Amino acid sequence: MEPFVFFGGKGGVGKTTVSCAYARKCADEGVETLVVSTDPAHSVSDVFDQSFGDEPEPVDGIDRLSALEIDPEAEVSEHLGEIRGRLSDQVSTPMVNEIDRQLEMAHQTPGAYEAALFDRFVDVMRERDPYDRVVFDTAPTGSTLRLFALPEFLESWIERLMHKRKQSIDRFEKAAIGNREPRRVMDGDPVLAHLQDRKEFFEFAGGALRNDAAFFIVLNPDQLSVNETGRAIEDMQGEDLGVRGLVANKLTPSPDADEDGRGARYLRDRVETERERLDAVRDRFDPPLVAEIETRTREVKGDLLAEVAAELDVEVRADAPSFV
Amino acid sequence: MTLASRISAYREVIDEWLRGLYHGMISHPAYEKIEDEAEDLEDAFMLACFPDAFGIPSPVSYYTAELLPFLEDEFEAWERRLWDRETPLAGKAEGYHF
Repeated sequence: MEPFVFFGGKGGVGKTTVSCAYARKCADEGVETLVVSTDPAHSVSDVFDQSFGDEPEPVDGIDRLSALEIDPEAEVSEHLGEIRGRLSDQVSTPMVNEIDRQLEMAHQTPGAYEAALFDRFVDVMRERDPYDRVVFDTAPTGSTLRLFALPEFLESWIERLMHKRKQSIDRFEKAAIGNREPRRVMDGDPVLAHLQDRKEFFEFAGGALRNDAAFFIVLNPDQLSVNETGRAIEDMQGEDLGVRGLVANKLTPSPDADEDGRGARYLRDRVETERERLDAVRDRFDPPLVAEIETRTREVKGDLLAEVAAELDVEVRADAPSFV
Repeated sequence: MTLASRISAYREVIDEWLRGLYHGMISHPAYEKIEDEAEDLEDAFMLACFPDAFGIPSPVSYYTAELLPFLEDEFEAWERRLWDRETPLAGKAEGYHF
């Protein structure tokens, strides 16, 4: 299967648990694995009882498994710092303040957070080595989908910017009649070069997502979660990214047949309605249900993680990327 | 002074006048116009890059901010043009020498 595996879904359905369990399963079967959390509310640290940073760190007690948590806020300020550094190298002092204001503004727009997150996860895909499998524990559905839609959208935007820039340079060159020096020249224009770099970055991101990534949606057997899953499947298809499978999590365990207390009756009733919903999921949705995971009374950690992993019917063998 | 040298001095004066006239009437306004158009295009480019300067949030300003170190001259000129251009007509009229 593809080297990059994404788990998405509504908030609170257990994406982190499922992605960590899957990552563990891969590692246990000999695949060098990295689990990446892109959810600003990180919980991979909680699952492994270990804190992770922006660089991959091995998970204690599990061979071949590493984890990293992306902190978008840190990414944004790093990006800001980088540009500021270049600014003070290249721009005259009186202009720095002027431009700095603009810079500050750009980093406070709502899209900055997403862009930073996107940049980092594309970097992780690009620097996949030495991992054979990278598991992404994504943020809740809505924002993740926007993230996946970014490459195509940004690519066309950058293209338009490049076109405009070329046009204006072209006019400046034409205005330089005789031996006048044109104000801007096309050759070696740093702005065009930079835009071209960005364009290639987005092309890479789009290609990697389309060719080397598999998407799974985690859902709970409640109506809201099922509805949201339906919408997510449609949206993903709209982005030309197919959902490979669905993972049903937090299923109610059924009581033993001889039990007939109030609790047992409650459970039986619940199991019944959940069955119906799962049947509906199987009928209505195209992607197959690849796992049915029962709810646990304790936090899913340690050995429980291995138990959950065993219930996941998702292939672990990692193919070499075809695009990256 | 011979007749020949007087004629050549006369021709030189005419030559200069003609060149000046051509420059003033044809070539200068022509490249001024082209340059104006180039500036207009550049303004459009800058606006597409930094719409947040006008309070319009843009999904790409995070990326276009990376261009700022290379856009010192353009940025300054852009801001100046934005302040100077009181009406769109005034901006356009600049190209004509009434």
